[in-house]
Amino acid sequence: MPTDEGQGSRMIEVVQLTKSFGELRVLDGISFGVDKAEVVVVLGPSGSGKSTLLRCVSFLEPYDDGEIRIDGELVGYRMNGRGERVPRSETENARHRQQVGMVFQSFNLFPHKTALENVMMGPLHARGQAKAEALEIGLALLAKVGLSDKAHEYPIRLSGGQQQRVAIARALAMRPKVMLFDEVTSALDPELVGEVLIVIRELAREGMTMIIVTHEIPFARDVADRIIFMDKGRNVEEGPPGQVLTTPASQRLQLFLRRYQGDYLAT
Amino acid sequence: MDVLAKNLPYLLSGAVMTLWLSLAVVSLSTLLGFIIGTLGAVGGRTLRALVTAYIFILRGIPVLVVMFLGYYAFPAFGYRANAYVAVGTAQIVYAGAFVAEIVRSAILSVPAGQFAAARGLGMPRGKILMHVVFPQAVRLAIPPLLNTSLTTIKQTSYASVVGAWELTWAAREVVERTLAAFQIFLGVMAIYFCICYPLAALSRWCEGRFVVAH
Repeated sequence: MPTDEGQGSRMIEVVQLTKSFGELRVLDGISFGVDKAEVVVVLGPSGSGKSTLLRCVSFLEPYDDGEIRIDGELVGYRMNGRGERVPRSETENARHRQQVGMVFQSFNLFPHKTALENVMMGPLHARGQAKAEALEIGLALLAKVGLSDKAHEYPIRLSGGQQQRVAIARALAMRPKVMLFDEVTSALDPELVGEVLIVIRELAREGMTMIIVTHEIPFARDVADRIIFMDKGRNVEEGPPGQVLTTPASQRLQLFLRRYQGDYLAT
Repeated sequence: MDVLAKNLPYLLSGAVMTLWLSLAVVSLSTLLGFIIGTLGAVGGRTLRALVTAYIFILRGIPVLVVMFLGYYAFPAFGYRANAYVAVGTAQIVYAGAFVAEIVRSAILSVPAGQFAAARGLGMPRGKILMHVVFPQAVRLAIPPLLNTSLTTIKQTSYASVVGAWELTWAAREVVERTLAAFQIFLGVMAIYFCICYPLAALSRWCEGRFVVAH
């Protein structure tokens, strides 16, 4: 019988996860795990379910069936006395989300708040920390992502790369156990991609557990401990980057990489 | 113009009544509209349906009809209410529908990514509304809200139809006495303009400021 607390040592455990939007099955029984301090990169064509997978892990999107556990705790649901799965309260889900830092493709910074205020939002209004404490966290994290000089600027006055770095700092301010990156460089000019990837690489070096959805294959090769290739909501292939990207076993991944290399050479 | 100058104090005392009525109707209809508009944007399915019905019904009725309904509703239920309370209540309910629609639309105009980002931080629903949604929605809503307030102020002139004394009623009294309709209503026009102009100017200022800020 499944319990609220898992037995495994993995930081993230996804088991037979399914999610449909109406008739469309977006996640079709995907399973994988992420160890503590491990960096997993998820690759896959558009519509393969990568973003939905991240949104389910952070429980921004409820899932239909299967299990997601973060640090052993079942996400979004708990088991009642009769062994049935019941939804957790919104308060419990909010507490869960504090442990999972999510960074979005389109930054989603709060436009009416400065960079510093954006980073302070979580500590102030989710964790209920004192303003002085939140300020200290905010300034330290902006320094970490190299934006101390932009602390009092509004998002509209920041470049895309700077906005994304503030968004990473904002997520880190919650001191999450895991970080999820959803195509965080896709909306950026090619010249600005590097500055964001440097910050993510630094987090990997510090031992942050991360799932990164990206189309930057050279970056994936560099930063990932393991790569998962998804298609049609399933885990088609997974393994170390050297193996998955150099000698792909599945035809689908071979085709994906050929297309990517074609695009890459064309640019 | 002597006739206007001679009757100006009387007209201004009517203008004071208009101002009081406007203040009450604008502030209370804004409050009502904010509550209803918010429920219409973030409430459950039944609540949203009720709010939609309220907005659609009120928007489809002329204000004068609503005021007559308000005026006769109190006696129909066995209550005696003075004309100001009756027309004031009717106008609050009427203008509240317009405010509710502005507030509802403004909240729904806040990008879904903003909710997702705030939820992703683990912020509770109430704090998301307070610190993320409302500050952005208000910026969008202020210019149309000021426009609606202007319309509401001008609509208080209908109150005279059901016997509430204010600027327009005072003007009609003066006209009956002096037969100088053109001069008196020219004066009334100037007084209404003086009441409304600051709000119109504020609306224009907000439009420029908030559009640039976004």
